[in-house]
Formats: sequence, structure tokens, C-alpha cells
Amino acid sequence: MNQAEVSKLMSQLRVSIPKKPRRLRNPDGPEGRLNKLRKTVSALVKHERIELNSARAHEARGYAERLISEAIRHGDCHKATMDMANFWMVEKQLVHKLFKVLAPRFVNCPVSYTRMYKAPRQYPGPVTEIRRAVLELRGNPYPPVKPDMTQNRNLIHNVLLDEAKKQYRYEKYAQIAAKLTAGESKAEAKSTESADGNQKEHTATVEEPVDTKEEK
Amino acid sequence: MNSVKSHFLRLSTKNNVTKISKKFLSTIEEQGRRSELFSLEQERQKQNVGRIEKIEVRYLGQPNDTTLVMNKGLSTPYNCAQHLTLLHCNRSALALVDNHTPWDMHRPLEDSCTLQLLHFTIADPHLVNKVFWRSCSFMLGAVLQECFKDEAQLQLHSFPSPSVKSGSFVHDIFIKEPSWTPNKDELRTISAEMIKLAAKNLKIERLDVSYDLALEIFKTNPYKKEQLPFIKRSSKAGTVTVYRVGNHVDISRGPMISSTRQLGRCTITSVHRIASENNGALYRVQGVALPVGFIINHVAYGILEDRSKKLNSARFPHEPYEDAIVNMIA
Repeated sequence: MNQAEVSKLMSQLRVSIPKKPRRLRNPDGPEGRLNKLRKTVSALVKHERIELNSARAHEARGYAERLISEAIRHGDCHKATMDMANFWMVEKQLVHKLFKVLAPRFVNCPVSYTRMYKAPRQYPGPVTEIRRAVLELRGNPYPPVKPDMTQNRNLIHNVLLDEAKKQYRYEKYAQIAAKLTAGESKAEAKSTESADGNQKEHTATVEEPVDTKEEK
Repeated sequence: MNSVKSHFLRLSTKNNVTKISKKFLSTIEEQGRRSELFSLEQERQKQNVGRIEKIEVRYLGQPNDTTLVMNKGLSTPYNCAQHLTLLHCNRSALALVDNHTPWDMHRPLEDSCTLQLLHFTIADPHLVNKVFWRSCSFMLGAVLQECFKDEAQLQLHSFPSPSVKSGSFVHDIFIKEPSWTPNKDELRTISAEMIKLAAKNLKIERLDVSYDLALEIFKTNPYKKEQLPFIKRSSKAGTVTVYRVGNHVDISRGPMISSTRQLGRCTITSVHRIASENNGALYRVQGVALPVGFIINHVAYGILEDRSKKLNSARFPHEPYEDAIVNMIA
């Protein structure tokens, strides 16, 4: 097989990309679509958290992920990558941010570089309103979008989980202790048994001649 | 006693209370009777307020500290929350009056005070957790009362004071069945009823009633009748605190959460037989629940469910010493 492995040529992304690109209706056609996405990706790199229509956010997310992973893979001395960064960053100073800030930030990141949340709809307003979303880069300086429910151990689910953990440990220790004591008692029993066995053997050996004598 | 009754006769136009108190009552009718007595007493206490006086309630918290002018003996912390936002109304489970007294959301404020609204995700929620756990026991009682047929002769005994660390909330009941072990479907049914109760979004109301009225409300429940004198003795004013959700009325020390809507995920996991009574037995029903908005992994929740199956060792109803009977009823 002379064919190169595709997974080695392309960066493997941590977000799912739909099979077909969204058309994202635009008066300028496909070019207008791309311009819109360029603006969005640039804004994401610039502001690190943006709120926009859900469809566009999801479409831009894939491009942003790909861009950052290429920047991490090839660095700023790779011409193709630099051209790509030049194309996607509308404001050129963001190219520096991409290679000097974001690439080092995500170089050891085991998960996706971006996060996407559903945003609440405008109230009052029509229910059929276009869905909104929040798109952000991980490690941004803003307060979290969703409240952090893991750090505060006084929250009810954490209290319950901690107690369950405690009890599980307690049971495990009890099991181990039981095993140990059982092992000790077995060993003791063995030693006594073996001692008994030896005595019995001795007695047997002693008795045998007696029997033989009696028979005789 | 008679004065209480005659007073209610005057108040109730339909005169249902005396009519239905004469014949044999099914569980639903009995609950209706209790609820109606509760409503009448509530109405009477409202009328007793008389001329409306204003109080100043200093609200401390998000979005900013404000002073609200409310009605003495009528306005509740919930009414104060209504002056803030819908979020405050929906998520506040408990109010803290003057920085130290926990106060039900639907209990009228009695004097000028400072007010804080507590919810489940504050920095130190142990008070709210306890209140939630107690409310779960109370709601479980309401559900059990409706789940069983009349033939089972279910009588709610009581529920011990809440301990979140024990891993399960409990309610002790009597049924005329010497050895009942519920199967999975039965437990699931009770759990589903809990969820249905939560979806009804009923508010949990509190009322301090006189001892005589409490006896009248719980006259068909032998266990409650037995407990009432002790409760009366332990309370300073000689009154008994009762709570109502929907049509279900029960004794509890309180406080409770604001609405059944605040109950999120809930599972009733086990029923343990704890003592035998004449032609029946006392059972301890146990479950585990989380407030609404608490989303945890199903594996983690499974661990909590498994733990809550073990018999909760909170005070048992048949334990002999009577001094502790007051502590038994949360």
C-alpha cells in the first residue's frame, strides 16, 4: 500500500465535524460564507468567548480547532500553516497570538481547545427565534459559564458522594482486617494442626508395634 | 374543643367538616378533611391579623441590598422574592431572618428584620441541605399516603430528624401487612409518584395550630395522637407546627423548602421492616434525592442509590425511651 495514512496527514480533532459543511446562507454566496466564518474565528481568537447563532458557532468551531491544532503541530516556521493563519486571521496581529499564546497554551491539552454552550433565548421574544450559543476557548480569563459544582464539597451531592466514599473505604478496610485475622487464625490453626498431626503420627508409630506385638 | 369546632362551623359555608367527620372516611376523604381544617385555620389566622401594619424588611444579597416595605403578619419571604426576580422566587429554598433564624419561604414575617434568601448552591449550604432532606421525607409521606389502597390501612408514623450524611431520607409507616417486601416495580412506582408530585409545583405551607385543633386534625391516626402531647410539652407556646403539601398535612418541626418543584432526581430505594404491630408492621421507607438543577453522572448516582438501600439507623419508632419522642419527629 503506497497510500499515506490520512490520520497522519490531518490533525485529529477532539470535536465531531459534520460530514457536509453548512451552507450558511449568505448574499455573497460561498465566498461570503467564508468571510463570515473568518470574522467569527478571528473574533474567537481575539475575545476568547463570543455569543452568536448556534449554527455559525458550530461551523466556526471546527475551523478554529483545526487552525489551532495545525499551529501546534507545525509551528510558525511552516509556510503552509502560516498561510492558513494569515487567511483565517482578519486582524494580522492575531497571528502572533495564535502562535505565541494559544499554541503553547494548548500544546499538552488532552481535550478539545474550544467549548460550546447553549445560550438562553431572548425574553420576551418569539419562541421560534434562532438558537444562540456561546463559543469559547479553554483557559480563558473569564468566570466560568456554568457554575463549578465540584469544588464546593458542602453541596448536597458532594456530601452524599464523600460519605459514600468514606463508607466504601471503611468496608474495604474491614474486609482486609477480616482477611488478615482469618489468615492469622488459619496459620495458628495450621501450626496446631500440624503439631497434632505429628503427635498422632508418633502415637501411630508407637502404637503399631504394640498392635503387632499383641497379634503375635 | 367545641369552641374550635363551632368557630369552624361559622367559617365554613359548605359545612363539610362536620358532615364528613361523621361517617367512615376513605384516605382521600380523610386527607380532604385535614386539608380543609388547615385552610380554615389559615384563613382564621389571616383574619386575626386585623388592621394591616407595615414592616421594613432589609433584604441582603444579590442583585443589591434593598429595603422593602411589607405587611406585618401577611407578607412572606416569597413575597419579598417576588419584588426581586423570578429567579429568586424559583430557586430560593429557605430564608434566613436576622442572619440566624431559618424561616420558611411561605411563612408570614412577624416584624421588621433583615432577610437573606438561601438556595442550594450557596457557599455553605448545610442548612438548606438539611431542610431539603426533611422536605423529602415529608413529601415521601404525602406520596405514600396516596400510593396505598384503603385495604392496606396505611398510617404514617413519623420521620426522624434529617441527616444527609446517612445517605437516605426516611419515613416510617404502618401497614396492615406483617411481612411486605416491595418488588422493583413497586419501588419505581413510588419514585415516579415523587417525581409527579415535584412536577405539580405545589407550595409547602406552614401553620402553627393549637393542640386541640391538632388533635382534631390527626384524630384518625393513633401514632400522631400519641406523639402530640409530647410535642405540645416541648414547644414554648404549647402549639403544634403542621405542614401541608397539596392535601397532605403532617406534623413537622420545620422548616421546609419552598415548593415541590425544587425536588429534582429522586429514587425510593428500599423498604425495611422494623417492628411488628398488631396484625401489621412498621416499615421504614428510604430513598435518595437531589435538588433540581443538580445533574450528576448516572454511575455516581447509582453509588448513592446503592448506599441508600442500607437500613438507615436514625432513631427507630419502637425504641423505648419516651423523652426522645420529640427528637424523633423532625
